[in-house]
Amino acid sequence: MAGPIDITGAMITTPTPAGDWLAVVPVALPIITGAALLMLRKRLHWQAPIAVATLAVVFLATLALLVRVWTFGTVVMTMGRWLPPFGISFTVDLLGALFACTASLVALVCSVAAVQSVARPARRYGYFPFLLLTAVGVNGAFLTGDIFNLYVWFEVFLISSFGLLVVGSTRAQLDGTLKYGVLNLIGTTLFLIATGYLYGIFGTLNMADVIRKVPAVEGAPLMTLATLYLAAFSMKAAAFPVQAWLPASYHTPNVVTSAFFGGVLTKIGVYALLRVLVLLFPLQLAGLSGVIGWVAAATMVLGALGALAQSDIRRMVGFLVISGVGVMLAGLAVGTGPALAGGIFYAMHSMIALTALYLLAGLVAERAGSSSLHVVAGLSSAPVLIIAAFILMLSIAGLPPGSGLWPKIMVVQAALEAQHGWLTAAVLLSSLLTVITLGRFFLFVFWRPPVADGLGERPKRLMSPGPMLALTFLAVVMGLYPEPFVRAASHAADGLLQPDAYVRAVFGEQG
Amino acid sequence: MNSETMLMMLIALPFAGACLAALFPPNARNAETWAAALVTLGAVVLSASLFPAVATGTPVRLNIEWLPTLGLSFSLRMDGFAWLFSMLVTCIGFLVVIYSRYYMSPDDAIPRFYAFFLAFMGAMLGIILSGNLILLVVFWELTSIISFMLIGYWYQKADARDGARMSLTITGVGGLGLLAGVLLIGHIVGSYDLDAVLDSGDLIRSHPLYVPAICLVLLGAFTKSAQFPFHFWLPNAMAAPTPVSAFLHSATMVKAGVFLMARLWPVLGGTYEWFWLTGFAGAASLLLGAYFAIFQRDIKGLLAYSTISHLGLITLLLSLGSPLGAVAAIFHMMNHATFKASLFMAAGIIDHESGTRDMQKLGGLFKLMPYTATLAMVASAAMAGVPLLNGFLSKEMFFAEAIETHADSILDTAAPYVAVIASAFAVTYSIRFIHAVFFGERPADLPREPHEPPFLMRLPIQLLVLACLVIGIIPAITVGSFLHIAVVSVLGADTPAYSLAVWHGLTVPLGMSVIALIGGALLYVLLRHYLAHCEEGPPYFRRLKGQRIFERVLVFVSWRFARLVEATLGTRRMQQQLRLLVAVSLVAAAIPFYNSNFGLGLFELGQIDIPFALLWVIGIACAVGAAHQAKFHRLVALILLGGAGVVTCITFVWLSAPDLAVTQLLVEIVTAVLILLGLRWLPKRWEDTELGRAPISTKLRRGRDLLVAAVAGLGMTLLSYAVMTRPSPDTISGFFLRKAYEEGGGRNVVNVILVDFRGFDTFGEITVLGIVALTVFALFRRFRPAPDTIESPEQQRIQAATDEERSDRITGQTVSDYLLVPSVIMQWLFPVIIVFAAYLFLRGHDLPGGGFAAGVAMSAAFILQYLAAGTVWVEDRLRILPVNWIGLGLLIAGCVGIGSWVFGYPFLTSYSQYIDLPVIGEIPAATAILFDLGVFSLVVGATVLMLIVFAHQSIRRLRAAKISTTTIEEVA
Repeated sequence: MAGPIDITGAMITTPTPAGDWLAVVPVALPIITGAALLMLRKRLHWQAPIAVATLAVVFLATLALLVRVWTFGTVVMTMGRWLPPFGISFTVDLLGALFACTASLVALVCSVAAVQSVARPARRYGYFPFLLLTAVGVNGAFLTGDIFNLYVWFEVFLISSFGLLVVGSTRAQLDGTLKYGVLNLIGTTLFLIATGYLYGIFGTLNMADVIRKVPAVEGAPLMTLATLYLAAFSMKAAAFPVQAWLPASYHTPNVVTSAFFGGVLTKIGVYALLRVLVLLFPLQLAGLSGVIGWVAAATMVLGALGALAQSDIRRMVGFLVISGVGVMLAGLAVGTGPALAGGIFYAMHSMIALTALYLLAGLVAERAGSSSLHVVAGLSSAPVLIIAAFILMLSIAGLPPGSGLWPKIMVVQAALEAQHGWLTAAVLLSSLLTVITLGRFFLFVFWRPPVADGLGERPKRLMSPGPMLALTFLAVVMGLYPEPFVRAASHAADGLLQPDAYVRAVFGEQG
Repeated sequence: MNSETMLMMLIALPFAGACLAALFPPNARNAETWAAALVTLGAVVLSASLFPAVATGTPVRLNIEWLPTLGLSFSLRMDGFAWLFSMLVTCIGFLVVIYSRYYMSPDDAIPRFYAFFLAFMGAMLGIILSGNLILLVVFWELTSIISFMLIGYWYQKADARDGARMSLTITGVGGLGLLAGVLLIGHIVGSYDLDAVLDSGDLIRSHPLYVPAICLVLLGAFTKSAQFPFHFWLPNAMAAPTPVSAFLHSATMVKAGVFLMARLWPVLGGTYEWFWLTGFAGAASLLLGAYFAIFQRDIKGLLAYSTISHLGLITLLLSLGSPLGAVAAIFHMMNHATFKASLFMAAGIIDHESGTRDMQKLGGLFKLMPYTATLAMVASAAMAGVPLLNGFLSKEMFFAEAIETHADSILDTAAPYVAVIASAFAVTYSIRFIHAVFFGERPADLPREPHEPPFLMRLPIQLLVLACLVIGIIPAITVGSFLHIAVVSVLGADTPAYSLAVWHGLTVPLGMSVIALIGGALLYVLLRHYLAHCEEGPPYFRRLKGQRIFERVLVFVSWRFARLVEATLGTRRMQQQLRLLVAVSLVAAAIPFYNSNFGLGLFELGQIDIPFALLWVIGIACAVGAAHQAKFHRLVALILLGGAGVVTCITFVWLSAPDLAVTQLLVEIVTAVLILLGLRWLPKRWEDTELGRAPISTKLRRGRDLLVAAVAGLGMTLLSYAVMTRPSPDTISGFFLRKAYEEGGGRNVVNVILVDFRGFDTFGEITVLGIVALTVFALFRRFRPAPDTIESPEQQRIQAATDEERSDRITGQTVSDYLLVPSVIMQWLFPVIIVFAAYLFLRGHDLPGGGFAAGVAMSAAFILQYLAAGTVWVEDRLRILPVNWIGLGLLIAGCVGIGSWVFGYPFLTSYSQYIDLPVIGEIPAATAILFDLGVFSLVVGATVLMLIVFAHQSIRRLRAAKISTTTIEEVA
């Protein structure tokens, strides 16, 4: 009908290199296998192997993606062949690749742990598809370069995590799920509202395009926009004072679910803060750094105090998750390259170490028949758990040879350089409180003689500590040989602070 | 082997040994000891053979790149001071390993003991040999952590657990302080390299951050060396096995603090602040430690307090800022380590042989174990500072320094008196130890019959005591050169002239020594009877125990305070959390908005389109009404919500977006029906009929919530107004309008945006929709209706009652025949609606419609069936498997996306073409339509699944729970 159309003004004419497909695999593949698992829902024994295999491939893809980004720079794929900013771009810079890779690893490990620990009814009601789709949302959020698309992936992981919480269907789980769901939906709505304003101001949703347009915009309420994003993402990250949803819900579901959530989900909030505030609104961030600093200090210290006040192990770990978020926010508050690098490295460490700690808490609770610190005792005959618990305690408290030491040093060092003495004090204080908390946990669980008749029934088949040990091992590696992680985090932070490369990757040289 | 390799091996050997030791079987006590002894002996040999390299005067260095990005390399550095310390650590380590063989019982977990012991030795050597301050902190923390494991070695005992926890906490505080201090120093100097730091003394001392830096570094040093006021963890750490105490709490770990102070003394010392901080802590520890030591009943307690006192002496010497003081400090570190390690081991023998360490129970052991007694007496004499023993030499140097005036102040004036009094106390507790244990009556009720220990258990003590004697008598010949290289490496060019000799003539220090010896002895004579029966703890201070204060603080912080904070700042109630969330976003948005002084553009009445504005007034009223009625009149609220939805639809039409309007309308219908189905199962709520029934607090709370909601809404309005009244930016929508047909292949721009331009968003959103449906499905798994919702609705009951009253009707007839004609029509409508859905779907790319609208329309067909015929009838005939439809939809959409790989284009690239179909004619066919098919399938699956789940609940209550669970699964 119509003659040949000149499409160069609208479409990409160069073929897409096959390697760029790595950017889409972490999202497209789990959706497809998740859908397949839904159709195969009657075949229960197929669910776990397919899910694990998918997540293994996804992890390898993100790893390959990381290598590609490290070697060739930011990978961009604009969907539907439309030129950016009209199509939706997946823009994978080092920051996104690092987060996606770590999160995919955690997802893989959790799926392996889930093979043993998830009960039949939960599988029948779609545990593994939910897990895959949560991973989709998580990866999508880390990889996308479009802010509305980021919102879409937020929704995906929010709703599927909601599903993961719900499949157990006990009273406590439903109560936790309700709080989690309602509060997070409102937080996400705030994100959507802010994005609406952003479109109203810039007329575009592509983040690289926004970066180009920010300097030209005058008289727009950008500061308000930045604070709205700050509020929305802080809520996602469980920062003080909007952290209450996390301790209300994370201790209720199957422990593998908790492990996955505790490790990964709050980090998406942190990631989004880094992505949006540092990359899009650096000027506004500078104005907000005082506020973020107080929020960070309060989150760190109150999170650690909250952990100290808990007698339930999993609630305790939940508060430690919050406390760790504070350290990452401290990096954001200081805002210099090394500080951001410290925050990024801390996020990676936290994903790994806290997932491992949740899994450990599950193993402990299973062996002791309870997760209350009043009851659990006398597990001195499980040397593997003791060693792992000890290492994780050191990692999370930021003591050698654990993985938490180096990022904490980086953040503290940067805070001192930037003359934020009190922020340093808060980081160190939270470390101390964490040592006390986990020291108590260690003593009570492993060294205290067993309470006479406090132990409940031990299940016949115990969960394997393998997945937890794998992550613990990684934590030790990160602690003993931190150089690659430090370097990657530093480069990622530089990429945020100098967005030229990011913009150029999306728009080519003319950008 | 060159000296760098040896240095590396010196560090690596203990850690390797630790790994090896951990692998031994639990009962291989002898083999394990041999291995550990070999490792430690190897370390001794390595240290010793490094002497020639160190003696040249330039430190032996080793640099391995480790963390170049942070400017941190694994750098080791051994100078004379480090050499002396590493000899001390390795030698005493070796002796303690041999001793442990006999001390530890076969029931103890020997591999764990030696593994941690060797690892500790490695960490300690790490502190000594670090050439980088960060590396030093890392090893420093390692010693704290490993000592936690060693103190808690006998974890079955409560006091071991408490002691371990306390030492971890206290040294943890110090470690973090030290870390901050080191980072400050690094910030000042610009490098963490020890050589660089040692070269920048003036820079550091004149920097404004000097005071915080030394406070933090000294916090680390004082906690580690158990200096007042952080001393109390050390006596509690005596719950550790005695070999651990001998190694950690005499020779090594507690020395790390004073080691660090001496190491950094040339850089940090010599100022007024340094003098006061270290001088006060040192003097207080010296005096209080000695005083407390007198009144201990436990031998190890006495030795622990004595250690605090002696470390205080070293700290005090380092506070003075005089090079001679530093020499004395270094010398005393060595001397104290030798006699204190031997005394701890002797205490261990006494404990091991007699079964108790309580000096009030012991006595007269001299006859039973004369060798041990003699050795202990010599070592105690060294501790008391008796001439011809090594303790005397360094104490004389201390006295000589004490009488000099360094910084004119009260502390300086008091120093000689403090020194003499503390020395007298030292004499007293030394005599007490010897007298109470070895002399006097032999008690009858000892747990075990004491006798001499095996030779090899005594050998380490013999060697150490021999060292005390030899150094004490001929110091210059034996240790003179070693001490000298150590002193030179710390002090450099400032090294003063000093003489190591027993006899310096009749000097004031000698007089002070004599006074202290006589005074101490007299004091013991006076206190002897009191000490034989007194309670534990020193008089006047018995109640003021650091330990108890620490525990109180810990309990307060970890229990009361933490709970208080959690109760005040956190809440488990959702309403409060929501309020907080809204308030935070309100404040977050309002303050910057206010600060930036936005001039809101003037509002011109003329611009208002009156009918449109009226429409919106209605919509707003509906929305507000829905919120108002939501609590007690849910149905009303739902209807009002529908009103608001309709207004939105009309708005879309008004603004020329028929596609959105159609979709919105269909969505409104389906959601309204779904919510209606859900309403049925909500528990009933009764409004407080009389106004004023609700308590004031409730009213206040509601008022406050109203206020928050109103202000937040107003803020949102203002913000939207500010954004929308800005000149419109060059948006991407213009592009969409231009390109939708030519390149997108569709006239319906909205549909092209949904399935092509931003198809990826749609991909994500349909995933969300599918998951929502599945979540609803999972959520209802264990659903049981609330008790008050089980009875049939009021309307049905009235109808049934009418049936019963009238004789010509069968009960239930009215209900079943209700709306008979419309039901038949609705049933017949099923195929019609399906055709309509297909129509909507096919025309979607060019005209209003599309996969989403078609899917929702299709599900409306199912809703009508439910309305018309009831759940049982529909479930019997339902052939659709909604979960599969969801899966299929996602699968199609995903595969279409991946398909473009084949053509070398990015994900979700669409391909459009017109094709000629028989009968229908030429229709546009873009691959986007396949994607749209996925959307359609998913939407149908999701809505039908939710529909089934809701509708099924009404059957569920009629059947047994078990059956219903299976049926719902079969249906879905």
